Amino acid sequence: MTVASNVKQCMVTLKAAEATLSSLAQKSTEDQAKKLFHECMLEVGKAISDLKKRIAQLEFEEPQFKGK
Amino acid sequence: MLDWVDIVVRSFIFLITLFLLTKWFLGKKQLSQLSFFEYVTGITIGSIAAEVTMGLERNIMHGLISMSIWSLVPFAIGLVSLKSKKVRDFAEGKARIIIKDGKIMEDNLKKERYTIDELLEQLRNKNVFEVSDVEYAVLEPNGHLSVLLKKENQPLTAKDLQIKVAPIKEPQTVIMDGNILDEPLSNRGLNRGWLNEELDKAGVSLDNVFLAQVDSYGQLTMDLYDDKIQVPSPQEKPLLLASLKKCQADLEMFALQTESKDAQRAYNKNADRLTHIINKLKPMLHV
Repeated sequence: MTVASNVKQCMVTLKAAEATLSSLAQKSTEDQAKKLFHECMLEVGKAISDLKKRIAQLEFEEPQFKGK
Repeated sequence: MLDWVDIVVRSFIFLITLFLLTKWFLGKKQLSQLSFFEYVTGITIGSIAAEVTMGLERNIMHGLISMSIWSLVPFAIGLVSLKSKKVRDFAEGKARIIIKDGKIMEDNLKKERYTIDELLEQLRNKNVFEVSDVEYAVLEPNGHLSVLLKKENQPLTAKDLQIKVAPIKEPQTVIMDGNILDEPLSNRGLNRGWLNEELDKAGVSLDNVFLAQVDSYGQLTMDLYDDKIQVPSPQEKPLLLASLKKCQADLEMFALQTESKDAQRAYNKNADRLTHIINKLKPMLHV
């Protein structure tokens, strides 16, 4: 396992969490909970885009780890 | 007319009248919620009906007139007392304070002709065995004792502990006796497709489900006919919390491993962001 693949794995897990949050926000009937899930979903989205940038950097620095 | 035919006819007439009168004029009040006045008029109406049914020498019309007066007057008083507090206090009685500031009001006990034994019995009904636990108690007009315990004797609530808890709405029952109920399902914005998917996920067939409910977070809980099968509890929320925690730990590790200062800063920022999210979501995701 390389650093790049670890970071990628983390990003994928976060993406799954984002999707779960989104579906919870859809399914919840309680307005407060709906809002909270939505906010958290957006926050996780920001973390994902940061990780994506980092992955691009890693792949640029060490092209041998570039994913297929 | 034969006597017994007459009795049959009268019985039916008064049965129906009694049913209609009680249905229209009593509303949703329970027997124990009736005021003493309503209670007595109820008995009287019943006895009139019985009297006229069996006493063949009596006129049916007279019975009906008397019954309608006995039910209309309390009904009218009920209407007036809806509007006026004074009439209400007069007709239905007032609540009387029995214990105030933790002290028994002996005078009020005497006014209600309430013995100490009765008071203790009523308190025990409320699981109160020591009078000193009570801050305030009121004897309601219908004879029930309402008890406010001292704060330290009240059950703990989330508010007392200052814990944030997930807000909930009423759950919807979506399967009864193996039949899908479409209306509650669509109330939640869900459909049969979603339900079938959830059943597949849990690995149970529709006709094995005795009861299934959807909570306010869209999670399905069910009870099966076959009690030997273990229904998995909903995993979505705990899994989400676990994976968020894992990512947070991963990010912290990346921050330690990397040489680049910029990357370290970015990792730490996102780790903090996730910690923040986890803290916010914890009350919601805790099951």
